[in-house]
Amino acid sequence: MTRQKNVIEVEGRVVECLRSAMFTVELENGHQVLAHISGKMRKHFIKIYLEDRVLVELPPYDLTRGRIVFRYRN
Amino acid sequence: MDKKPFTSGPGENAMTITRVADRQWHALDDDLVAGCGYAEHRPDGRLFVGIDAWHDAAFDRLAEAMLAELPAPLYTVVDEADVELTAAWRRAGFTVRRRECEYAVPTDPRVTGLDGVQPPAGVTIVPAGQVDETLLRAVDRAIRDEVEAAVGWWQSMPAEVIPRPAGDTVVDPSKYAVAAAPDRYLGLVRVVRVIRPRVGLVAVRAGEQRRGIARALLAHALGTLHRSGYDAAWTEVQESNRAASALFEGIGARPVGGNLELVR
Repeated sequence: MTRQKNVIEVEGRVVECLRSAMFTVELENGHQVLAHISGKMRKHFIKIYLEDRVLVELPPYDLTRGRIVFRYRN
Repeated sequence: MDKKPFTSGPGENAMTITRVADRQWHALDDDLVAGCGYAEHRPDGRLFVGIDAWHDAAFDRLAEAMLAELPAPLYTVVDEADVELTAAWRRAGFTVRRRECEYAVPTDPRVTGLDGVQPPAGVTIVPAGQVDETLLRAVDRAIRDEVEAAVGWWQSMPAEVIPRPAGDTVVDPSKYAVAAAPDRYLGLVRVVRVIRPRVGLVAVRAGEQRRGIARALLAHALGTLHRSGYDAAWTEVQESNRAASALFEGIGARPVGGNLELVR
């Protein structure tokens, strides 16, 4: 599979589930981003809940937003 | 590699849509990947598309390129709470085909009211891990044929997303408990435990319905989860499947969200 270029991937923890299918994710460095779930996760019915550990992609031009692309098992 | 330049508008940078693989597209904006689109077949044969974009212009350009190159009909799934994404797909010409309600299902028998629920006379519940695989595949096939012949929902069941060998609908027999008569199986329940348990399927042979078999299967499955320390499971039910909604709501399941399946 082709990997996306120009994307920063950071691990984080879901600290808030918001309306409009958005989540506040606290990154390893303590920074918080507003993230949505990726289309592939949605298609496969992978749910995100409070306290989940996730992998987030950040666009290089806006580090306040993110996309959850993976949910860790523990 | 197939590149198609698009200009978003006067004064804006050109955005390039690149088909980077057979079913994958990138939107490049000033050499940055501003969006990614993909298409995948579900096991039922339908082609599902998805787009992850950092802004609307990238989404729209990707959708334009993908729709021009992929055969109709195309499907996608969105969280019904995600109004922005739903609006983006509507701009691309997609309409709502159906809605799935997501439920949180309690497991405590004192909450579900399933404490003491037993299968009808002559029927026993065979726990997961002890099921005869041949009989399981037979009842699964029979139920699918009955559903297809009656209401035709099966091809669009939300649970059918895991790749499997052609013609095989039972991916992992160890996930199933069944309701058994002496000579055959009458119904089944599939529960998968990955972080949170999910009731993926509850089904009973057409001629055996309205006997309490589905309730007995749920009583067994949820009771097993409760004894394992889980206080809730989750499941999805197609909105038009009133019997399934009534079954889950009758044991205290709580709607917690929904998914929209869109088609174009």
